[in-house]
Amino acid sequence: MEWGRVMIGETDINAILKSQPPTRSAMAPAAIALANLSFSYPDKPNVLHDLNLDIHQGERVGIVGYNGCGKTTLFMLVCGVLTPSTGSVALLGEPVAPGRFRPDIGLVFQNPDDQLFSATVWEDVAFAPENMGLSPEEVEARVRSAMQLTGTEALHQRPPHHLSGGEKRMVAIAGVLAMLPQVMIYDEPTANLDLRARRRLIRFLQSSPQTFLTSSHDLEFILEVCDRVIVLNEGRIAADGDPAQVMRDRVLMEASGLEVPHSLTHTHRSEP
Amino acid sequence: MRLELDEYAYLDSPIHRWDARAKLIGLLAIITSFAFVEQLQYVPAMLGVTVVIYALSRLPVSFLTTRLRYPGIFILGVVGLLPFLSGSTVLWSWGFLSLRQEGVMAAALVVGRFFSILTLGLVLFGTTPFIAQVRAMRSLGLPGILADMLLLTYRYLFVLLEMLTTMRRAMRLRGFSFHPSRFNLQDLQRLASLMGTLFIRSYEQSQRIYTAMRLRGYGALPHRHITPVAQRQAGDVLWHRFGLMLALLTSAGFLIADGLWSGVAS
Repeated sequence: MEWGRVMIGETDINAILKSQPPTRSAMAPAAIALANLSFSYPDKPNVLHDLNLDIHQGERVGIVGYNGCGKTTLFMLVCGVLTPSTGSVALLGEPVAPGRFRPDIGLVFQNPDDQLFSATVWEDVAFAPENMGLSPEEVEARVRSAMQLTGTEALHQRPPHHLSGGEKRMVAIAGVLAMLPQVMIYDEPTANLDLRARRRLIRFLQSSPQTFLTSSHDLEFILEVCDRVIVLNEGRIAADGDPAQVMRDRVLMEASGLEVPHSLTHTHRSEP
Repeated sequence: MRLELDEYAYLDSPIHRWDARAKLIGLLAIITSFAFVEQLQYVPAMLGVTVVIYALSRLPVSFLTTRLRYPGIFILGVVGLLPFLSGSTVLWSWGFLSLRQEGVMAAALVVGRFFSILTLGLVLFGTTPFIAQVRAMRSLGLPGILADMLLLTYRYLFVLLEMLTTMRRAMRLRGFSFHPSRFNLQDLQRLASLMGTLFIRSYEQSQRIYTAMRLRGYGALPHRHITPVAQRQAGDVLWHRFGLMLALLTSAGFLIADGLWSGVAS
Protein backbone atom coordinates (compact mmCIF):
# COMPACT_ATOMS: atom_id res chain seq x y z
CA MET A 1 0.00 0.00 0.00
CA GLU A 2 1.35 3.45 -0.92
CA TRP A 3 1.16 6.21 1.61
CA GLY A 4 1.80 9.33 -0.47
CA ARG A 5 -0.19 12.46 -1.05
CA VAL A 6 -3.90 11.79 -0.59
CA MET A 7 -6.12 13.35 -3.25
CA ILE A 8 -9.82 13.18 -3.95
CA GLY A 9 -10.31 14.73 -7.35
CA GLU A 10 -8.85 18.21 -6.86
CA THR A 11 -9.00 18.07 -3.06
CA ASP A 12 -5.87 17.36 -1.07
CA ILE A 13 -7.07 15.75 2.19
CA ASN A 14 -3.66 16.15 3.82
CA ALA A 15 -3.76 19.85 3.11
CA ILE A 16 -7.14 20.14 4.84
CA LEU A 17 -5.92 18.28 7.92
CA LYS A 18 -2.75 20.34 8.11
CA SER A 19 -4.28 23.69 7.18
CA GLN A 20 -4.04 26.55 9.63
CA PRO A 21 -7.29 27.54 11.36
CA PRO A 22 -8.81 30.94 10.53
CA THR A 23 -7.18 33.78 12.43
CA ARG A 24 -9.16 35.27 15.29
CA SER A 25 -11.24 38.21 14.19
CA ALA A 26 -14.24 40.09 15.41
CA MET A 27 -16.32 38.38 12.69
CA ALA A 28 -15.23 34.78 13.24
CA PRO A 29 -17.51 32.89 15.64
CA ALA A 30 -15.91 31.33 18.72
CA ALA A 31 -14.97 27.70 18.24
CA ILE A 32 -16.74 26.91 21.52
CA ALA A 33 -18.99 29.32 23.41
CA LEU A 34 -20.52 28.43 26.78
CA ALA A 35 -23.18 30.74 28.19
CA ASN A 36 -24.34 30.34 31.81
CA LEU A 37 -23.76 26.63 31.54
CA SER A 38 -24.75 24.52 34.53
CA PHE A 39 -25.09 20.79 34.89
CA SER A 40 -26.19 18.41 37.63
CA TYR A 41 -26.42 14.63 37.76
CA PRO A 42 -29.46 13.23 39.61
CA ASP A 43 -27.20 12.14 42.49
CA LYS A 44 -24.64 14.95 42.20
CA PRO A 45 -25.88 18.53 41.99
CA ASN A 46 -23.88 21.47 40.59
CA VAL A 47 -21.16 19.49 38.84
CA LEU A 48 -20.76 22.57 36.66
CA HIS A 49 -22.07 25.91 37.82
CA ASP A 50 -22.78 28.91 35.62
CA LEU A 51 -19.80 28.63 33.27
CA ASN A 52 -19.21 31.38 30.73
CA LEU A 53 -16.40 30.77 28.32
CA ASP A 54 -15.31 31.54 24.76
CA ILE A 55 -12.65 29.44 23.07
CA HIS A 56 -11.48 30.98 19.85
CA GLN A 57 -10.50 29.19 16.67
CA GLY A 58 -6.90 28.06 16.72
CA GLU A 59 -6.59 28.15 20.52
CA ARG A 60 -5.10 25.21 22.43
CA VAL A 61 -6.76 25.10 25.80
CA GLY A 62 -5.89 22.94 28.78
CA ILE A 63 -8.52 22.18 31.42
CA VAL A 64 -7.07 21.21 34.78
CA GLY A 65 -8.63 20.32 38.10
CA TYR A 66 -8.87 17.53 40.65
CA ASN A 67 -10.64 14.22 39.90
CA GLY A 68 -14.39 14.72 39.71
CA CYS A 69 -14.25 18.51 39.23
CA GLY A 70 -16.29 18.24 36.02
CA LYS A 71 -13.74 18.11 33.19
CA THR A 72 -15.18 15.07 31.41
CA THR A 73 -18.74 16.31 32.04
CA LEU A 74 -17.80 19.60 30.37
CA PHE A 75 -16.47 17.70 27.34
CA MET A 76 -19.64 15.62 27.11
CA LEU A 77 -21.74 18.79 27.17
CA VAL A 78 -19.62 20.43 24.45
CA CYS A 79 -20.01 17.33 22.25
CA GLY A 80 -23.76 17.17 22.84
CA VAL A 81 -23.69 13.84 24.67
CA LEU A 82 -25.21 15.42 27.79
CA THR A 83 -27.94 18.05 27.95
CA PRO A 84 -27.19 21.14 30.07
CA SER A 85 -29.39 21.72 33.12
CA THR A 86 -29.35 25.43 32.23
CA GLY A 87 -27.43 27.59 29.78
CA SER A 88 -26.18 26.75 26.32
CA VAL A 89 -23.25 25.53 24.26
CA ALA A 90 -22.46 26.79 20.76
CA LEU A 91 -19.94 25.23 18.43
CA LEU A 92 -18.58 27.42 15.61
CA GLY A 93 -21.52 29.75 16.08
CA GLU A 94 -24.16 27.04 15.94
CA PRO A 95 -25.97 25.78 19.06
CA VAL A 96 -25.11 22.21 20.04
CA ALA A 97 -28.22 20.04 19.90
CA PRO A 98 -27.84 17.07 22.25
CA GLY A 99 -27.70 13.77 20.39
CA ARG A 100 -27.06 15.32 16.98
CA PHE A 101 -23.94 14.17 15.13
CA ARG A 102 -21.48 17.02 14.50
CA PRO A 103 -18.44 15.92 12.46
CA ASP A 104 -16.82 19.31 13.12
CA ILE A 105 -16.00 18.24 16.68
CA GLY A 106 -14.12 15.12 17.72
CA LEU A 107 -13.63 13.60 21.15
CA VAL A 108 -10.71 11.32 21.98
CA PHE A 109 -11.70 9.25 25.00
CA GLN A 110 -9.54 8.73 28.06
CA ASN A 111 -9.50 4.95 27.57
CA PRO A 112 -8.82 4.00 23.92
CA ASP A 113 -10.51 0.63 24.52
CA ASP A 114 -13.81 2.52 24.71
CA GLN A 115 -13.19 3.89 21.26
CA LEU A 116 -11.45 1.19 19.25
CA PHE A 117 -14.03 -1.47 18.50
CA SER A 118 -13.38 -2.58 14.92
CA ALA A 119 -11.52 -5.68 13.80
CA THR A 120 -8.59 -3.83 12.25
CA VAL A 121 -7.02 -0.40 12.65
CA TRP A 122 -7.99 0.50 9.08
CA GLU A 123 -11.65 -0.34 9.68
CA ASP A 124 -11.68 1.62 12.91
CA VAL A 125 -10.30 4.74 11.28
CA ALA A 126 -12.79 4.27 8.41
CA PHE A 127 -15.73 4.03 10.83
CA ALA A 128 -16.61 7.74 10.94
CA PRO A 129 -16.12 8.50 7.21
CA GLU A 130 -18.33 5.49 6.39
CA ASN A 131 -20.99 6.79 8.77
CA MET A 132 -20.79 10.15 7.03
CA GLY A 133 -21.89 8.49 3.78
CA LEU A 134 -18.70 9.34 1.87
CA SER A 135 -17.71 7.51 -1.30
CA PRO A 136 -15.28 4.56 -0.90
CA GLU A 137 -12.53 6.66 -2.55
CA GLU A 138 -12.99 9.50 -0.10
CA VAL A 139 -13.17 7.09 2.84
CA GLU A 140 -9.87 5.58 1.74
CA ALA A 141 -8.27 8.99 1.24
CA ARG A 142 -9.33 10.18 4.68
CA VAL A 143 -8.16 7.00 6.37
CA ARG A 144 -4.75 7.17 4.69
CA SER A 145 -4.34 10.81 5.51
CA ALA A 146 -5.35 10.45 9.18
CA MET A 147 -3.03 7.47 9.57
CA GLN A 148 -0.16 9.34 7.93
CA LEU A 149 -0.59 12.29 10.25
CA THR A 150 -0.62 10.11 13.35
CA GLY A 151 2.15 7.81 12.11
CA THR A 152 -0.03 4.71 12.32
CA GLU A 153 0.24 3.54 8.67
CA ALA A 154 2.24 0.45 9.58
CA LEU A 155 -0.53 -0.70 11.93
CA HIS A 156 -3.37 -0.62 9.40
CA GLN A 157 -3.98 -4.39 9.34
CA ARG A 158 -3.49 -5.00 13.06
CA PRO A 159 -6.41 -5.64 15.43
CA PRO A 160 -6.65 -2.57 17.73
CA HIS A 161 -6.77 -4.66 20.90
CA HIS A 162 -3.30 -6.05 20.13
CA LEU A 163 -1.64 -2.61 20.07
CA SER A 164 0.43 -0.97 22.80
CA GLY A 165 -1.07 1.88 24.87
CA GLY A 166 0.71 4.55 22.83
CA GLU A 167 -0.29 2.98 19.52
CA LYS A 168 -3.90 2.69 20.64
CA ARG A 169 -3.92 6.37 21.60
CA MET A 170 -2.61 7.45 18.17
CA VAL A 171 -5.09 5.16 16.35
CA ALA A 172 -7.92 6.61 18.46
CA ILE A 173 -6.79 10.11 17.41
CA ALA A 174 -6.61 8.99 13.75
CA GLY A 175 -10.18 7.66 14.02
CA VAL A 176 -11.40 11.10 15.07
CA LEU A 177 -9.19 13.06 12.65
CA ALA A 178 -10.74 11.13 9.75
CA MET A 179 -13.91 13.21 10.29
CA LEU A 180 -11.83 16.37 9.51
CA PRO A 181 -13.05 18.07 12.69
CA GLN A 182 -12.29 21.73 13.32
CA VAL A 183 -12.30 21.27 17.08
CA MET A 184 -10.69 18.37 18.91
CA ILE A 185 -11.17 17.36 22.52
CA TYR A 186 -8.63 15.12 24.25
CA ASP A 187 -9.72 13.65 27.58
CA GLU A 188 -6.61 12.84 29.64
CA PRO A 189 -4.55 11.93 26.56
CA THR A 190 -1.35 11.18 28.49
CA ALA A 191 -3.00 8.68 30.87
CA ASN A 192 -1.13 5.33 30.87
CA LEU A 193 1.43 6.46 28.27
CA ASP A 194 5.13 5.73 28.69
CA LEU A 195 7.64 8.56 28.24
CA ARG A 196 8.29 7.85 24.57
CA ALA A 197 4.59 7.68 23.65
CA ARG A 198 3.93 10.83 25.71
CA ARG A 199 6.70 12.70 23.88
CA ARG A 200 5.31 11.54 20.53
CA LEU A 201 1.85 12.78 21.52
CA ILE A 202 3.27 16.15 22.61
CA ARG A 203 5.05 16.59 19.25
CA PHE A 204 1.87 15.62 17.43
CA LEU A 205 -0.26 18.11 19.37
CA GLN A 206 2.32 20.90 18.99
CA SER A 207 2.07 20.51 15.22
CA SER A 208 -1.71 20.06 15.21
CA PRO A 209 -3.55 22.88 13.43
CA GLN A 210 -6.96 22.23 15.01
CA THR A 211 -8.48 24.16 17.87
CA PHE A 212 -8.25 21.82 20.80
CA LEU A 213 -9.30 21.34 24.37
CA THR A 214 -7.46 18.90 26.55
CA SER A 215 -7.72 17.82 30.13
CA SER A 216 -4.80 16.33 32.00
CA HIS A 217 -3.31 15.81 35.44
CA ASP A 218 0.08 16.01 33.72
CA LEU A 219 0.64 19.74 34.16
CA GLU A 220 4.02 19.67 32.40
CA PHE A 221 2.16 18.33 29.36
CA ILE A 222 -0.30 21.24 29.57
CA LEU A 223 2.62 23.67 29.75
CA GLU A 224 4.13 22.17 26.62
CA VAL A 225 1.08 21.99 24.36
CA CYS A 226 -1.39 24.65 25.48
CA ASP A 227 -1.43 28.39 25.06
CA ARG A 228 -4.27 28.85 27.54
CA VAL A 229 -5.29 27.04 30.69
CA ILE A 230 -8.56 26.92 32.60
CA VAL A 231 -8.58 25.78 36.22
CA LEU A 232 -11.83 24.15 37.31
CA ASN A 233 -12.68 24.01 40.98
CA GLU A 234 -16.01 22.78 42.37
CA GLY A 235 -17.72 23.23 39.01
CA ARG A 236 -16.58 26.84 38.53
CA ILE A 237 -13.77 28.48 36.60
CA ALA A 238 -11.15 29.37 39.21
CA ALA A 239 -8.65 30.82 36.73
CA ASP A 240 -8.25 31.33 33.01
CA GLY A 241 -5.11 32.54 31.27
CA ASP A 242 -1.55 31.87 30.23
CA PRO A 243 -0.54 28.38 31.46
CA ALA A 244 2.80 29.39 33.01
CA GLN A 245 1.32 32.42 34.70
CA VAL A 246 -1.75 30.67 36.07
CA MET A 247 0.00 27.51 37.21
CA ARG A 248 2.81 29.39 38.94
CA ASP A 249 0.26 30.77 41.47
CA ARG A 250 0.79 28.40 44.40
CA VAL A 251 -2.19 29.69 46.44
CA LEU A 252 -4.58 29.28 43.52
CA MET A 253 -3.22 25.86 42.60
CA GLU A 254 -3.42 24.50 46.13
CA ALA A 255 -6.89 25.94 46.65
CA SER A 256 -7.91 24.06 43.48
CA GLY A 257 -6.47 20.75 44.68
CA LEU A 258 -3.42 21.00 42.40
CA GLU A 259 0.31 21.59 42.71
CA VAL A 260 2.61 24.01 40.92
CA PRO A 261 4.37 22.03 38.14
CA HIS A 262 7.96 21.17 38.98
CA SER A 263 9.37 23.16 36.06
CA LEU A 264 7.78 26.34 37.47
CA THR A 265 8.97 25.99 41.05
CA HIS A 266 12.54 27.25 40.37
CA THR A 267 13.87 24.98 43.05
CA HIS A 268 16.70 22.73 41.96
CA ARG A 269 18.13 20.06 44.14
CA SER A 270 21.89 19.95 44.05
CA GLU A 271 23.53 16.67 43.19
CA PRO A 272 25.01 14.92 46.25
CA MET B 1 -11.25 -23.70 26.27
CA ARG B 2 -9.91 -21.06 23.90
CA LEU B 3 -12.28 -18.48 22.45
CA GLU B 4 -10.33 -16.79 19.71
CA LEU B 5 -11.89 -18.61 16.80
CA ASP B 6 -10.23 -16.86 13.89
CA GLU B 7 -6.59 -17.06 14.98
CA TYR B 8 -5.83 -19.34 11.99
CA ALA B 9 -8.04 -17.44 9.57
CA TYR B 10 -5.01 -16.14 7.70
CA LEU B 11 -3.66 -19.56 6.67
CA ASP B 12 -3.77 -20.54 3.01
CA SER B 13 -5.96 -23.51 2.07
CA PRO B 14 -8.80 -24.25 -0.35
CA ILE B 15 -11.27 -23.75 2.50
CA HIS B 16 -9.63 -20.44 3.47
CA ARG B 17 -9.79 -19.29 -0.16
CA TRP B 18 -13.45 -20.27 -0.46
CA ASP B 19 -15.68 -17.18 -0.64
CA ALA B 20 -17.10 -16.40 2.83
CA ARG B 21 -20.71 -16.38 1.60
CA ALA B 22 -20.42 -19.62 -0.37
CA LYS B 23 -18.64 -21.21 2.59
CA LEU B 24 -21.33 -20.06 4.99
CA ILE B 25 -24.13 -21.47 2.84
CA GLY B 26 -22.25 -24.64 1.92
CA LEU B 27 -21.05 -25.62 5.38
CA LEU B 28 -24.33 -24.63 7.04
CA ALA B 29 -26.16 -26.85 4.54
CA ILE B 30 -23.91 -29.79 5.42
CA ILE B 31 -24.27 -29.09 9.15
CA THR B 32 -28.06 -28.99 8.81
CA SER B 33 -28.15 -32.25 6.89
CA PHE B 34 -25.93 -33.87 9.56
CA ALA B 35 -28.33 -32.69 12.24
CA PHE B 36 -31.14 -34.61 10.47
CA VAL B 37 -29.19 -37.88 10.11
CA GLU B 38 -30.95 -40.56 12.16
CA GLN B 39 -29.44 -43.74 10.74
CA LEU B 40 -26.27 -44.99 12.40
CA GLN B 41 -24.88 -46.43 9.17
CA TYR B 42 -24.40 -42.89 7.82
CA VAL B 43 -22.24 -41.81 10.77
CA PRO B 44 -18.97 -43.15 9.23
CA ALA B 45 -19.72 -41.24 6.01
CA MET B 46 -20.54 -38.15 8.04
CA LEU B 47 -17.26 -38.47 9.95
CA GLY B 48 -15.42 -39.10 6.68
CA VAL B 49 -16.78 -35.90 5.10
CA THR B 50 -15.89 -33.99 8.27
CA VAL B 51 -12.32 -35.32 8.35
CA VAL B 52 -11.80 -34.54 4.65
CA ILE B 53 -13.06 -30.95 5.09
CA TYR B 54 -10.94 -30.46 8.22
CA ALA B 55 -7.86 -31.83 6.45
CA LEU B 56 -8.51 -29.54 3.48
CA SER B 57 -8.69 -26.54 5.82
CA ARG B 58 -5.13 -27.22 7.09
CA LEU B 59 -6.16 -26.10 10.56
CA PRO B 60 -3.91 -27.65 13.22
CA VAL B 61 -5.34 -30.62 15.15
CA SER B 62 -4.63 -28.75 18.40
CA PHE B 63 -7.10 -26.05 17.26
CA LEU B 64 -9.82 -28.71 17.26
CA THR B 65 -8.83 -30.58 20.42
CA THR B 66 -8.53 -27.51 22.63
CA ARG B 67 -11.93 -26.26 21.55
CA LEU B 68 -13.71 -29.62 21.68
CA ARG B 69 -12.47 -30.50 25.17
CA TYR B 70 -15.13 -28.85 27.32
CA PRO B 71 -18.11 -29.34 25.00
CA GLY B 72 -16.89 -32.96 24.67
CA ILE B 73 -16.95 -33.45 28.43
CA PHE B 74 -20.44 -31.99 28.51
CA ILE B 75 -21.77 -34.25 25.75
CA LEU B 76 -20.14 -37.32 27.27
CA GLY B 77 -21.81 -36.42 30.55
CA VAL B 78 -25.16 -36.18 28.78
CA VAL B 79 -24.95 -39.37 26.67
CA GLY B 80 -22.70 -41.36 29.01
CA LEU B 81 -25.63 -43.09 30.66
CA LEU B 82 -27.58 -43.82 27.47
CA PRO B 83 -25.92 -47.21 26.72
CA PHE B 84 -26.90 -48.41 30.19
CA LEU B 85 -30.41 -47.01 30.39
CA SER B 86 -31.92 -46.97 26.91
CA GLY B 87 -33.15 -50.06 25.02
CA SER B 88 -34.02 -53.68 25.74
CA THR B 89 -31.35 -55.73 23.87
CA VAL B 90 -28.69 -56.50 26.45
CA LEU B 91 -25.21 -56.90 24.95
CA TRP B 92 -23.29 -57.42 28.16
CA SER B 93 -24.16 -57.32 31.81
CA TRP B 94 -22.23 -57.11 35.03
CA GLY B 95 -24.25 -57.13 38.21
CA PHE B 96 -26.92 -54.48 37.96
CA LEU B 97 -25.14 -52.81 35.00
CA SER B 98 -26.36 -53.82 31.54
CA LEU B 99 -24.98 -52.49 28.29
CA ARG B 100 -27.88 -52.15 25.85
CA GLN B 101 -27.62 -52.17 22.05
CA GLU B 102 -30.15 -49.43 21.36
CA GLY B 103 -28.47 -47.16 23.91
CA VAL B 104 -25.03 -47.77 22.41
CA MET B 105 -26.37 -46.97 18.93
CA ALA B 106 -28.13 -43.80 20.12
CA ALA B 107 -24.99 -42.62 21.94
CA ALA B 108 -22.81 -43.30 18.89
CA LEU B 109 -25.22 -41.35 16.70
CA VAL B 110 -25.29 -38.38 19.11
CA VAL B 111 -21.50 -38.37 19.53
CA GLY B 112 -20.94 -38.72 15.76
CA ARG B 113 -23.31 -35.85 15.01
CA PHE B 114 -21.84 -33.73 17.79
CA PHE B 115 -18.26 -34.25 16.59
CA SER B 116 -19.10 -33.60 12.93
CA ILE B 117 -21.26 -30.55 13.51
CA LEU B 118 -18.90 -28.90 15.98
CA THR B 119 -15.85 -29.61 13.82
CA LEU B 120 -17.52 -28.13 10.74
CA GLY B 121 -18.60 -25.14 12.81
CA LEU B 122 -14.98 -24.64 13.84
CA VAL B 123 -13.88 -24.92 10.20
CA LEU B 124 -16.49 -22.34 9.25
CA PHE B 125 -15.42 -19.80 11.90
CA GLY B 126 -11.76 -20.79 11.96
CA THR B 127 -11.01 -20.23 8.30
CA THR B 128 -12.61 -16.80 7.84
CA PRO B 129 -11.80 -13.64 9.79
CA PHE B 130 -14.77 -12.89 12.02
CA ILE B 131 -15.34 -9.52 10.37
CA ALA B 132 -15.56 -11.18 6.91
CA GLN B 133 -17.93 -13.76 8.36
CA VAL B 134 -20.26 -11.09 9.70
CA ARG B 135 -20.08 -9.18 6.42
CA ALA B 136 -20.97 -12.36 4.57
CA MET B 137 -23.98 -12.82 6.86
CA ARG B 138 -24.92 -9.19 6.31
CA SER B 139 -24.72 -9.51 2.53
CA LEU B 140 -26.95 -12.57 2.83
CA GLY B 141 -29.61 -10.52 4.60
CA LEU B 142 -28.61 -10.29 8.28
CA PRO B 143 -29.91 -6.91 9.58
CA GLY B 144 -27.17 -4.30 10.10
CA ILE B 145 -27.93 -3.86 13.79
CA LEU B 146 -27.50 -7.60 14.43
CA ALA B 147 -24.23 -7.60 12.48
CA ASP B 148 -22.92 -4.67 14.55
CA MET B 149 -24.02 -6.38 17.77
CA LEU B 150 -22.24 -9.59 16.76
CA LEU B 151 -19.04 -7.71 16.00
CA LEU B 152 -19.09 -5.73 19.22
CA THR B 153 -19.92 -8.79 21.32
CA TYR B 154 -17.02 -10.68 19.79
CA ARG B 155 -14.63 -7.75 20.21
CA TYR B 156 -15.49 -6.99 23.83
CA LEU B 157 -15.79 -10.58 25.00
CA PHE B 158 -11.99 -10.60 25.15
CA VAL B 159 -11.87 -7.29 27.00
CA LEU B 160 -14.31 -8.67 29.59
CA LEU B 161 -12.34 -11.89 29.93
CA GLU B 162 -9.19 -9.84 30.47
CA MET B 163 -11.03 -7.79 33.11
CA LEU B 164 -12.23 -10.98 34.81
CA THR B 165 -8.70 -12.44 34.80
CA THR B 166 -7.27 -9.26 36.36
CA MET B 167 -9.99 -9.18 39.02
CA ARG B 168 -9.46 -12.85 39.87
CA ARG B 169 -5.71 -12.28 40.07
CA ALA B 170 -6.27 -9.32 42.41
CA MET B 171 -8.50 -11.51 44.61
CA ARG B 172 -5.92 -14.28 44.69
CA LEU B 173 -3.15 -11.82 45.60
CA ARG B 174 -5.24 -10.75 48.59
CA GLY B 175 -5.56 -14.30 49.79
CA PHE B 176 -8.78 -15.52 48.17
CA SER B 177 -8.69 -19.02 46.80
CA PHE B 178 -11.65 -20.98 45.59
CA HIS B 179 -11.75 -24.69 46.40
CA PRO B 180 -14.96 -26.54 45.57
CA SER B 181 -14.21 -28.92 48.47
CA ARG B 182 -14.02 -26.04 50.97
CA PHE B 183 -16.82 -24.05 49.45
CA ASN B 184 -18.80 -21.86 51.86
CA LEU B 185 -21.38 -19.08 51.82
CA GLN B 186 -18.74 -16.33 52.12
CA ASP B 187 -16.95 -17.62 48.99
CA LEU B 188 -20.27 -17.64 47.18
CA GLN B 189 -20.91 -14.01 48.20
CA ARG B 190 -17.45 -12.99 46.98
CA LEU B 191 -17.90 -14.75 43.65
CA ALA B 192 -21.33 -13.15 43.30
CA SER B 193 -19.86 -9.68 43.90
CA LEU B 194 -17.10 -10.44 41.37
CA MET B 195 -19.70 -11.31 38.75
CA GLY B 196 -21.84 -8.31 39.75
CA THR B 197 -18.87 -5.95 39.42
CA LEU B 198 -18.02 -7.44 36.05
CA PHE B 199 -21.60 -6.96 34.93
CA ILE B 200 -21.67 -3.31 36.05
CA ARG B 201 -18.29 -2.57 34.48
CA SER B 202 -19.34 -4.16 31.21
CA TYR B 203 -22.59 -2.18 31.26
CA GLU B 204 -20.70 1.08 31.87
CA GLN B 205 -18.18 0.27 29.18
CA SER B 206 -20.96 -0.53 26.72
CA GLN B 207 -22.41 2.93 27.40
CA ARG B 208 -19.04 4.59 26.74
CA ILE B 209 -18.57 2.58 23.53
CA TYR B 210 -22.02 3.55 22.30
CA THR B 211 -21.24 7.22 23.04
CA ALA B 212 -17.94 6.91 21.13
CA MET B 213 -19.81 5.36 18.20
CA ARG B 214 -22.50 8.05 18.17
CA LEU B 215 -19.84 10.77 18.26
CA ARG B 216 -18.33 9.27 15.13
CA GLY B 217 -21.63 9.31 13.31
CA TYR B 218 -23.07 5.88 14.09
CA GLY B 219 -26.76 5.96 13.20
CA ALA B 220 -26.47 9.36 11.49
CA LEU B 221 -27.30 7.73 8.16
CA PRO B 222 -29.98 5.05 7.69
CA HIS B 223 -27.58 2.77 5.80
CA ARG B 224 -23.86 2.78 6.42
CA HIS B 225 -21.63 2.00 3.49
CA ILE B 226 -19.18 -0.74 4.43
CA THR B 227 -15.82 -1.05 2.72
CA PRO B 228 -16.15 -4.05 0.41
CA VAL B 229 -14.22 -7.27 1.05
CA ALA B 230 -11.14 -7.51 -1.19
CA GLN B 231 -11.87 -8.27 -4.84
CA ARG B 232 -11.62 -11.94 -5.67
CA GLN B 233 -9.55 -13.28 -8.53
CA ALA B 234 -11.37 -14.72 -11.54
CA GLY B 235 -9.78 -18.15 -11.08
CA ASP B 236 -11.22 -18.34 -7.57
CA VAL B 237 -14.78 -17.82 -8.75
CA LEU B 238 -14.82 -21.33 -10.23
CA TRP B 239 -13.71 -22.79 -6.93
CA HIS B 240 -16.33 -20.80 -4.98
CA ARG B 241 -19.09 -22.15 -7.22
CA PHE B 242 -17.73 -25.66 -7.41
CA GLY B 243 -17.23 -25.79 -3.64
CA LEU B 244 -20.74 -24.55 -2.99
CA MET B 245 -22.23 -27.02 -5.44
CA LEU B 246 -20.29 -29.90 -3.90
CA ALA B 247 -21.38 -28.89 -0.40
CA LEU B 248 -25.03 -28.61 -1.44
CA LEU B 249 -24.87 -31.99 -3.22
CA THR B 250 -23.29 -33.60 -0.15
CA SER B 251 -25.94 -32.12 2.07
CA ALA B 252 -28.75 -33.21 -0.29
CA GLY B 253 -27.18 -36.67 -0.52
CA PHE B 254 -27.28 -37.16 3.24
CA LEU B 255 -30.83 -35.88 3.53
CA ILE B 256 -32.12 -38.08 0.67
CA ALA B 257 -30.23 -41.19 1.77
CA ASP B 258 -31.38 -40.84 5.36
CA GLY B 259 -34.96 -40.15 4.25
CA LEU B 260 -34.95 -43.14 1.88
CA TRP B 261 -33.58 -45.46 4.51
CA SER B 262 -36.17 -44.29 7.03
CA GLY B 263 -38.87 -44.96 4.38
CA VAL B 264 -37.55 -48.47 3.68
CA ALA B 265 -37.22 -49.24 7.38
CA SER B 266 -40.78 -48.16 8.12
